[in-house]
Amino acid sequence: MTSLVEVPPSLDDRSFEQFAAGFAAVAAEGRVLVDAHACEWASPFGLVALLCAGQALMERGAKPLLTVPAEREVAAYWARTGFFRHAETLFEIHGVVPRVKPAPETTVLLDVTPVRVAGDVHTIVDRIQERAAAILTAELGLDAKATVGFGMALSEACQNIVEHAGTGGWVAVHAYTWRRRLGKRVVVIAVADAGVGFRQSLEASQAALYGERWGDGRALEVAFIHGVSRFRDPGRGQGLRGIRRWADRWGGKVSIRSGTARIGMVPPWDEDVVLKEALPMFPGAQLQILIPAATPEAQ
Amino acid sequence: MISEIDVRSVLSRSVCEFHSDLVTRSTGRAVRGGIEAHLEEHPDVTMVVLDFSAVRVLDCSCADEVIAQLLLRHASGDVPRPAYFLVRGLHETHAEQIDDVLRRHGLALVAAERGGAMRLLGSFTELMRTAWERLAAHGAAAAEELASDLAWSLEDARRALDELAGRRLVMRASERYLPLPAA
Repeated sequence: MTSLVEVPPSLDDRSFEQFAAGFAAVAAEGRVLVDAHACEWASPFGLVALLCAGQALMERGAKPLLTVPAEREVAAYWARTGFFRHAETLFEIHGVVPRVKPAPETTVLLDVTPVRVAGDVHTIVDRIQERAAAILTAELGLDAKATVGFGMALSEACQNIVEHAGTGGWVAVHAYTWRRRLGKRVVVIAVADAGVGFRQSLEASQAALYGERWGDGRALEVAFIHGVSRFRDPGRGQGLRGIRRWADRWGGKVSIRSGTARIGMVPPWDEDVVLKEALPMFPGAQLQILIPAATPEAQ
Repeated sequence: MISEIDVRSVLSRSVCEFHSDLVTRSTGRAVRGGIEAHLEEHPDVTMVVLDFSAVRVLDCSCADEVIAQLLLRHASGDVPRPAYFLVRGLHETHAEQIDDVLRRHGLALVAAERGGAMRLLGSFTELMRTAWERLAAHGAAAAEELASDLAWSLEDARRALDELAGRRLVMRASERYLPLPAA
């Protein structure tokens, strides 16, 4: 029997919960169809999280199916982001994947790119830093100082996969106008893996300290708020602090979802909660950093 | 003897000639290894100026491996002839990264930013900072002069200067304390 998991019409870090609920509800056995035919838009977070779903489903034993968005423009955009290149290895694709040229650099700063080893992080930062600098200053109107920290934040986010996930993951960086929520251009870094997640990564060193209160939410708190890592060296666990500090300085938002919880550094312009628990189970860890433009986009 | 090390060049030799970004722990370990190899080849070096002018991106993990671990080794007695270290050519964001990693380890370091301003990074007391700033601005001093200048007790002045010297943030020559030369 084939189970169905619907992709919401607009897939971002918020509506992802709808997708995750469907994902968590599918039977452990049998094939799964991830149905994106009605999807009209996906953020970089949505795209890399879909790949995580594909990896997790494939590891259960049966290659999942994925329907391509029916809207040609949507499918073409996903193709330009490089999504299908990776999805083809994880899903049996149903529908027509448009042949397209790479996306313009002003939109897709970094197409969907795998992260497996430290060398990948070097390549990623190297590829994107110049373009990111131009977009952050020219399009988002941020001070040039913001660009130095951008590479740091991207690097630390990707290194979380290399150091802690126990498997590979993906990163994507897009710039777009977020009309519905902010009316501004934003740059979004999305990094996701279907690995062990924060709770398992920290379990050996932290679970006993929290007893029955230990879970995905506590694990995210100790890592994100207190800078604790699975390593005992006090020099470890600084990456997420560095990301928070940089994003905070530029009015940005950082959120991490792992297992059944999501934690965030919520700026004044957003009404999200800091910690949300008892979410549908989804494997690994998914991180998003969003930096808004200094001023609203000219109409 | 003072040795100036261009960290970007060490990165090129140790990792890849095309990289100008100090990112990832493994890169940091390789760069630190390159610096330590240089110091082993030059045993007469007593002070090292690490020049970050050509470094574009520095992440927290790499800063920890290159700088904090280097200072820890020199502070722990693992190294037969511990050197004085100074970092130069830091972008403001690099300085923040280094400051944060040093604080986590309880370490401190003298830094010269790209604009030329000298500052202490990391973990230190208010007395240490004030004493260091006096030496950086006016040059060498004995504890008695510092106590007089700052209207401190001689005991406070001596304690601050001895802590700075013990953590290799200033040099001590007989009864006088000297700021590290920016080179």
